[in-house]
Amino acid sequence: MKALKELYDYRQMIFSLVNKELRGRYKGSVLGFMWTFINPLLQLLVYTLVFSVIMRAGIDKYYLFLFVALVPWIFFSASLTGGANSVLASQDMVKKIYFPREVLPIAYVTSAFVNMLLTFIVVFAVLIFTGYGVNPAALLYMPVIMIVEYFLALGIAMLSSALTVYFRDLQYILGIIAMAWQFLTPVMYSQGMVEEQLQNHPALLRIWNLNPTTPIINAYRQILYYKQIPDISTLLAAVVLGITVCIIGYVAFRRLQRGFAEEL
Amino acid sequence: MKDGNAIEVRDVNKKFKVYYDKGSQLKEKILFRSRNRYEDRWVLRGISFEVRKGEAIGLIGHNGCGKSTTLKLLTRIIYPDSGSIEMKGRVSSLIELGAGFHPDMSGRENIYTNAAIFGLTKKEIDRRVDSIIKFSELEEFIDNPVRTYSSGMYMRLAFSVAINVDADILLIDEILAVGDVAFQAKCFNKLREIKAKGTTIVIVSHSLSQIEQICDRSIWIHEGRIREEGKPRVVDPHYMEYMSEKTVLRAPENAQTEEAEPEEDKPKDETRTENTDEQKKRWGSGEVRMQNVRVVDDSGVEKNKFFNTEHISILIDYKADRKITDAVVGIAIYRDDQTYIYGTNTLIDYAEPVTLEKSGTICFDMRELPLNVGTYTVDLAFHKPDGFNYDFWREVCSITVKNKLNEVGVVSIPHEWKID
Repeated sequence: MKALKELYDYRQMIFSLVNKELRGRYKGSVLGFMWTFINPLLQLLVYTLVFSVIMRAGIDKYYLFLFVALVPWIFFSASLTGGANSVLASQDMVKKIYFPREVLPIAYVTSAFVNMLLTFIVVFAVLIFTGYGVNPAALLYMPVIMIVEYFLALGIAMLSSALTVYFRDLQYILGIIAMAWQFLTPVMYSQGMVEEQLQNHPALLRIWNLNPTTPIINAYRQILYYKQIPDISTLLAAVVLGITVCIIGYVAFRRLQRGFAEEL
Repeated sequence: MKDGNAIEVRDVNKKFKVYYDKGSQLKEKILFRSRNRYEDRWVLRGISFEVRKGEAIGLIGHNGCGKSTTLKLLTRIIYPDSGSIEMKGRVSSLIELGAGFHPDMSGRENIYTNAAIFGLTKKEIDRRVDSIIKFSELEEFIDNPVRTYSSGMYMRLAFSVAINVDADILLIDEILAVGDVAFQAKCFNKLREIKAKGTTIVIVSHSLSQIEQICDRSIWIHEGRIREEGKPRVVDPHYMEYMSEKTVLRAPENAQTEEAEPEEDKPKDETRTENTDEQKKRWGSGEVRMQNVRVVDDSGVEKNKFFNTEHISILIDYKADRKITDAVVGIAIYRDDQTYIYGTNTLIDYAEPVTLEKSGTICFDMRELPLNVGTYTVDLAFHKPDGFNYDFWREVCSITVKNKLNEVGVVSIPHEWKID
């Protein structure tokens, strides 16, 4: 509890690190901060071109189907791989002065989160201008699922950043893990396809559903692509898994951070 | 934690792993398991001390004794292997100044980032930002990027932030190497001011004079244990004596070749024994030694009672083993109740060491001694610029000051009234 209060005292540091991260990212480029919006727009354009002209998928408006899941996935995978480096990248500070070390992964995940929020502006703009439309009732569930994803990503980032300090190879291994994880999550395909394939193997399906990112990605897609209110069971699974991972990550980080200065 | 204590350190042990050949990659960890052998080096072996709120303590000891490790433990950068450390209040450290400074951001923006690292909120920084800028004397440059700053300006800004955090506990490692002499003096005064406000201060420094000026207590750490603890005026000489002996032992060949004439060894031995008689009021390597010290008046007559308007000279006859090119001659004046009245040396006055011949006389000339009635003692020293002592002599002589006026206070300030 005391640790959390201290973390709250250091909110200005988190804020200034996030600020530095967001502003520093496109520093020196001509369009600067505009890239935050241009980048996803161009990505979407490429997906549209590829999946509606070259490689036709069997899903209606596949580029939207993919994109509404890909945006939150990119946030999660950035937290996993980029977040892993957050402590290592600030080793000068860690070795020299005291501050609650949690600040580093929190700042990284928060800046990636803000980036996702900005990308969602593009997503909404596309949904509205193409006439695809949104369901306002379903949208009310968006903040819930976003917050859950934030805590999940934070838990993962704390775990990966702390372990990377002790075991540097992890930062390279994590690239592959992130890719495999993406294929094990219904980002490019639908949950329905998996359930169909595994209908005779209920045990496997149960294991499948333990993946904490699955219910989250499914919820995003339900809200934005299918324009439905997400299932309560999906939401509940997301909340429980998200909170559990976050607590595990935090506890592990608290333990491992004691040795940071000596390991770096 | 006891009432009125700001820091409690109890039986703290700390070891570092010294790897023979460290590999942190998976391949290395698996393939070369044998290479991952390490040995434990115990840096601290059971350190315990308490610091009361508002007290200033100095940690002294030679390189590698564990004093910096102790400070790092207090900063909570590293954690003890056993034992406990408790601290009450906000901790600020002047250990690594300017951590987190971003070269492309302006001085003002960096104040915000840097102060945030000390755990200040935006509101708290807003309140302090003006005094930080004022203290740093960088008003004109504060909106320029920090990369355009000179290193002195950089340190001044960093120091200003750290010292304006208003911490309850301030940890300092070798601070006062910041900026020019004027700024250093300013830092020192600020430190005194902070101390007077009730901030607890822990200083690690090689400059014993700094410690003596600000600290209430010195803790001498030796090989991971506390060797001695007490008033700086008592502990520091013991430490200095130990260090001088060690340095002499470290270079025995040099010393012997230099000491060509055996006759000169004799008086040295005599004074060595005299050391113990005089309750260790004198220490040093002895390469230069004071032979005779006299206090004389205008006409050259030796005496020890002076009016505070009288001209005073202190004459020091010395003898050296060889020509010494890196000497600093210093003087300190104390009142008999151990109040530090004044101190200076040739390095402060001339900014470079002086050369001493094999023998000679040094005169310290004072136009007057503008002090109030009392008895004062004089410390004299020959030392190197880095503080290594050739000959340090505490309470060489005493001077009684008389005043024709019935003034009060420590000093007698020459003055006049103008009443319209």
